[in-house]
Amino acid sequence: MSGMFVEVAPPTLPVPIVAPAAVGDRGRTARRLARRLGRGVVPYLYLVPALGMLIVWTYRPLVETANYSFYSWNLSPTQPATPVGWDNYHRLFTLPELGGSVWRTLLMIIGLLPFTIVIPVVVGLLSREVRGRARSFYQALIFLPFLVAPVASAAVWQWLLSPRSGAVNRATGSSVNWFHERWPALIAITGITGWHVLGFAVVVVAAGLASINSDYAEAASVDGASRWQITRWLTLPLLSPTLVFLVLSTVLLFAPQWTFPLIDSLTQGGPVDATTNVYYLLWEYGIQSFDAGLASAAGVVFFIGFGLVAAVLLWISERVTIHDD
Amino acid sequence: MSRITVENVTRRYGDVRAVDGVSLDVAHGDFLVLLGPSGCGKSTLLRMIAGLVPPSDGRVLVDGRDVTETPARDRDLAMVFQSYALYPHLTVARNIGFPLRTRRQRRAEISARVAEVADILDLGKLLDRRPRELSGGQRQRVALGRALVRDPGAFLMDEPLSNLDAQLRTATRTEITELHHRLGRTFVYVTHDQVEAMTMATSVAVLNHGRLEQVGTPTEVYDTPASAFVAGFLGSPPMNLLDAEVVARDGRLHAVAAGVDVPLGLGDPGQQGEPGKQGEPGEQVRRPAVLGIRPEHLSLRPAASDGAAPEATLRGTVRTIENLGSEEIAHCRVGAAEVAVRARRPAGFTVGEAVVLTVRPEHTHLFDRESGRRLVWRPDRDAPIPAARVPVAT
Repeated sequence: MSGMFVEVAPPTLPVPIVAPAAVGDRGRTARRLARRLGRGVVPYLYLVPALGMLIVWTYRPLVETANYSFYSWNLSPTQPATPVGWDNYHRLFTLPELGGSVWRTLLMIIGLLPFTIVIPVVVGLLSREVRGRARSFYQALIFLPFLVAPVASAAVWQWLLSPRSGAVNRATGSSVNWFHERWPALIAITGITGWHVLGFAVVVVAAGLASINSDYAEAASVDGASRWQITRWLTLPLLSPTLVFLVLSTVLLFAPQWTFPLIDSLTQGGPVDATTNVYYLLWEYGIQSFDAGLASAAGVVFFIGFGLVAAVLLWISERVTIHDD
Repeated sequence: MSRITVENVTRRYGDVRAVDGVSLDVAHGDFLVLLGPSGCGKSTLLRMIAGLVPPSDGRVLVDGRDVTETPARDRDLAMVFQSYALYPHLTVARNIGFPLRTRRQRRAEISARVAEVADILDLGKLLDRRPRELSGGQRQRVALGRALVRDPGAFLMDEPLSNLDAQLRTATRTEITELHHRLGRTFVYVTHDQVEAMTMATSVAVLNHGRLEQVGTPTEVYDTPASAFVAGFLGSPPMNLLDAEVVARDGRLHAVAAGVDVPLGLGDPGQQGEPGKQGEPGEQVRRPAVLGIRPEHLSLRPAASDGAAPEATLRGTVRTIENLGSEEIAHCRVGAAEVAVRARRPAGFTVGEAVVLTVRPEHTHLFDRESGRRLVWRPDRDAPIPAARVPVAT
């Protein structure tokens, strides 16, 4: 017997592809390079409008603020700004207002948390039981105050909280002079802001709850969990990214910024600075006292301060929140 | 011990009846597969058994106890979801231990039991991981572990293998079957995959448009489908269904259509010799029906020997041939219908060639054209029309 085993060759292409010969054509190479460059530029062109807006409206003022914080200037175009070095910062930290305003901002944050976290979660959980159109109706009802202009609501609340004829005092039988006593004024500003943002927070929480896969609650109920156990062990942990977002908003946005129109139209920071928070202080320094340098220094300090707070909160939230993926 | 009974259960969503008057009895230790195409109501039925969806009508009983109004958590059933529904913020160990935690068991007991289950499912090394750090197959096993951990009366599974790749699906199928043998518990398993149904079930319930088409062992459901729907759903390719007429010729019944003349092996030869009773000589009664033949029951006979075989034929042309490796499937045109033929390779089909296919009478099925139900022959001298429509007992 004669013969031998031959391996079956692996598949190959029938005709080998010849690499195109490298021709020394400079023109073509240059054109190819230009085309590649052109293609690389396109995405950045799309970014230009947004980046332009950011630079003009955010970063340039930021840099200018930082710059003004080293000058003494009364905002008058005819007056020159004189460089004063770190004087403005020195003044800022020696004046008693800064510490007081930070403290009151903190109180406002604490006072707002029930409106931005506790009540929205309770309302969100309860309104899940309501089905269909009624649920949208309830949510719209709660959302409505958010659409009222702050100045308009200030007028209404001023009326409601008026010491003698106001509905609140008449209903409770008290004689508190809401906007002219220290603590009542702070409570009133915080409460009205809370009433304002409550609808927003409820909608955010409702969206957060709706994004939780209903399979988890169903699986848990088959596993034997009671409703309360499902809420505590599954719903709230899975809602944590939403809650962290609301805490961040309360700290960075609602308490310092959204209180501003109410403070300005109801108490002007008073009585005796009782409702002056950091943003109102800034406004007082800059626009009322025409002290651009001091206001800029305060602006820079608050920018850095809130930046640090935001960074810490984000760092915590990364460790605390659960992302369902 | 868990025997699950579903009595005349209906679930309506607006005007749509997702489940329509279904009654089932799942004996203790049974592996019942609810099979049907998507939208047939099988998942809704399972969720009604689990207590996640309340029925609009009817009752659900577990061990004879009416649980229709009982919340899911008190039904002593465990369920594996299609999405697995693993709690994303909990580790594998806490996911598996969750059902015990809800029952306020002690921590030591829970971890001992979790370790036991993890051992069975080979999850020991993954106990500290979170679901997102697991592969699809591992997630599936964790979901199974969570169901196993508290030793429930019955297991409900909603397409648990549909998110796995083909290889893993086959392996897990075997594991679940072994688990069923080992535990001896009742399993109710939802799938649209007939292979899962055929290989795992002790009984199969085929659903269509919310109604129960047939309940039986996999063999019964495949060999004697109770309706044209079941016949057309099971098998790959499914049973060939051809509109035909049943004709009595010389006392024997034939199914006749364009290109089709198949003796059904039914009828009474004693009736021979009454030609022309209904008109045509030699042919008597005509009854419209649907003729069903499984692709593997058709065999090819070369067209040349045509003349020598007068009986049992479908004549057509081969249109396409699919090579499955061990077998091939020829799609033929017979009259106006498409007929698939399954045969071992090489079967000798050529595209475009005229073929004559034969089938043995015992491999033919007849269905009513209107209702789609299976037609069963009941010999009766007084009734010459073979129309005895006997609903197959379920």
